[in-house]
Amino acid sequence: MGKLRFLLALWLAKLSIPALKITRHNGTDFPGSLALKLCPDFLRYVGKPGTIVAVTGTNGKTTVSNMLTDVLEARGLRVLGNRFGSNIASGISTAFIRNCDLLGRVRRCDIAVLEVDERSSPRIYPYVKPDYVVLTNLFRDSIMRNAHPYFIADVLTKSIPAGTKMILNADDLISCSVSPENPRVYFGIDRLESDVTDCINLIDDVRICPRCSGKLAYDYRRYHHIGRARCSQCGFASPESDYLAAAVDFHRQSMVIRENGAEYPYPLITDSIFNVYNMVTVIAALRQLGFDHGDIADALGRTAVAETRHSEEQVGKVRLVKQMSKEKNALAGSRAFDYIAGRPGRKELLLMMNCLGDTHHWSENTCWIFDADFEFLAHESIAQLVCTGARCRDYKLRLLMAGVPEEKIVCEEDEFKAAERLHYTPGDDVYILYGTDSLALAYRVYDRMRELALQHAEEKEAEA
Amino acid sequence: MRVEVLFPEICNLSGDGMNIRYLHQCCPALEIVETTLKDRPAFLDGGVELLYLGSATEKGLELMVEALAPHREALLERIDQGQLMLVTGNALDALGRYVTSDDGWRLEGLGILDTHAEYHMMDRHNSFFLGKFEGMDIVGFKSLFGHTYGADDAAEPLFAVEKGVGRFPGAAVEGFRRNNLLATYLTGPLLVLNPPFTKWLLRQMGAPDHLAFEEAAMDNYEKRVAEFREPGRDYMY
Repeated sequence: MGKLRFLLALWLAKLSIPALKITRHNGTDFPGSLALKLCPDFLRYVGKPGTIVAVTGTNGKTTVSNMLTDVLEARGLRVLGNRFGSNIASGISTAFIRNCDLLGRVRRCDIAVLEVDERSSPRIYPYVKPDYVVLTNLFRDSIMRNAHPYFIADVLTKSIPAGTKMILNADDLISCSVSPENPRVYFGIDRLESDVTDCINLIDDVRICPRCSGKLAYDYRRYHHIGRARCSQCGFASPESDYLAAAVDFHRQSMVIRENGAEYPYPLITDSIFNVYNMVTVIAALRQLGFDHGDIADALGRTAVAETRHSEEQVGKVRLVKQMSKEKNALAGSRAFDYIAGRPGRKELLLMMNCLGDTHHWSENTCWIFDADFEFLAHESIAQLVCTGARCRDYKLRLLMAGVPEEKIVCEEDEFKAAERLHYTPGDDVYILYGTDSLALAYRVYDRMRELALQHAEEKEAEA
Repeated sequence: MRVEVLFPEICNLSGDGMNIRYLHQCCPALEIVETTLKDRPAFLDGGVELLYLGSATEKGLELMVEALAPHREALLERIDQGQLMLVTGNALDALGRYVTSDDGWRLEGLGILDTHAEYHMMDRHNSFFLGKFEGMDIVGFKSLFGHTYGADDAAEPLFAVEKGVGRFPGAAVEGFRRNNLLATYLTGPLLVLNPPFTKWLLRQMGAPDHLAFEEAAMDNYEKRVAEFREPGRDYMY
């Protein structure tokens, strides 16, 4: 009965694909959603390739799974993946539906690389048993959906099959705690010049020893709880990395990977620590899949890291910068604020990380704003902060609490009027910070900012 | 004038830490004492105007109970003598009788409040709250694994529900008040979101009721109260 139901679900889901194409909805998860509705354990029956790699974690899972897929395809492998769909059960089901025949047998795929939403694990891993789970990191995410990272670590531990090999971030003690009985290897980054020992962030989720609850000391810390820790009371310490990025040199764009005492040179294809982590994660996964360092370095050298969350252009006399800062996510905000404060030059900021979906029928839970390091925005290089959207008053109050002088803050609920309140001072970098929820509106506001930047430039020229 | 923050290394979820930061910004003369799990709590020796306990993970709740259990009787005595204590978010559960969870986890609480919590780990509760406290409007948010099941009105409540979920769905009251123990399930920066309540708390502490950034805080508060009260706005996420 189960198999019959599966076949019926599969055929109807497959039939929906041309229909979606005709109606230009071919990027959706509808086939997978339909299949799961008709057959809730659809993923149990659908054919899978011989090797399955699941990529999960709070940040970097899209970048890592895309890079991994790019390298594998460049090496001639046929990869099944959910790159163009979602990372929940419906997206993963859709990926399998697109790559199986009418009897549900997988066709022409050597390996699956699946990006998996952490919270969706209980719906996926009972049926799709990965050979490897690549866990990028675990941080606080949406309080509403994910509660706290230890809850997510627990969800993963309860869901990941016993035999699956874990590829883990040694610099993140929360992800190191996942599936403790499973076989595992670790990746990490050696001490960097910019590292500190004391936490300067509000979110610091690994302050005590997981074994004895004593205070942990950090040999070095990158941000939040990322770093190398030890407990002076019971001897607990961060694990050693099997794949350690060392001699990271952003100027020369190079690093080495240290493995079993030997060093292997790699090009650095990024200028952010976050993406160095993504690179090392990919290298660790590829080493586990049996690839040589030389081949990996060669393939990575020809791969680009997609910078989808940041773009900039010169418009008139200012540089306009689009900077994604995911709403409801304090950590994403903190990382974006830190990055902006650290960049050279004078800046003007438009803050619109509002949850537009909540604006009319609910009211956004703003607790995350008080977990995010708005203190970085009190930096002297930031000349003006325009708060906008339904939650502009919350931003203003939080900025005042963070030590931003009131005269630098403008509060304007209407996003387009807010764009008009920016100064567009020649030479400034003018940022718009937005989340995924406000993406479409942010792009329209950005277009208005372009017009205003040009207008200001023309006025300046006329004055001159 | 001292404020004791209990276990800041674990009681720091959901922006709860901003309650005491804001209080300190309102009254810079306050001395903030941070007591870790391994320290002897300062309230045992007296001279603490406000004791604060914030949200934690489930493991954090266990550690919180473990650290306070040896001092349970002393804490109870202090509360009955009128010790001012603010408890936010799931920290309330550490003071209750027990917590059960649908994944089999169980926590024996300190039993200071006659209530117990029931968690549903994969069915998170998210709502906003509008209530009353001594004639003041109170606003806040709940983002929790479950509810607390004390009597609807027998134990002294903290807030009366105007819109939102009280101790449990359908309850008319939210939180608990035992003398000056103020325990609410509302998470996050309660004092930042509720400047009139913060003024009241400062007065209870014997501190001047001056608010930091009062204009911005009141503007934000009034906007939120009006928004929550709008008829078409549903409190459930």
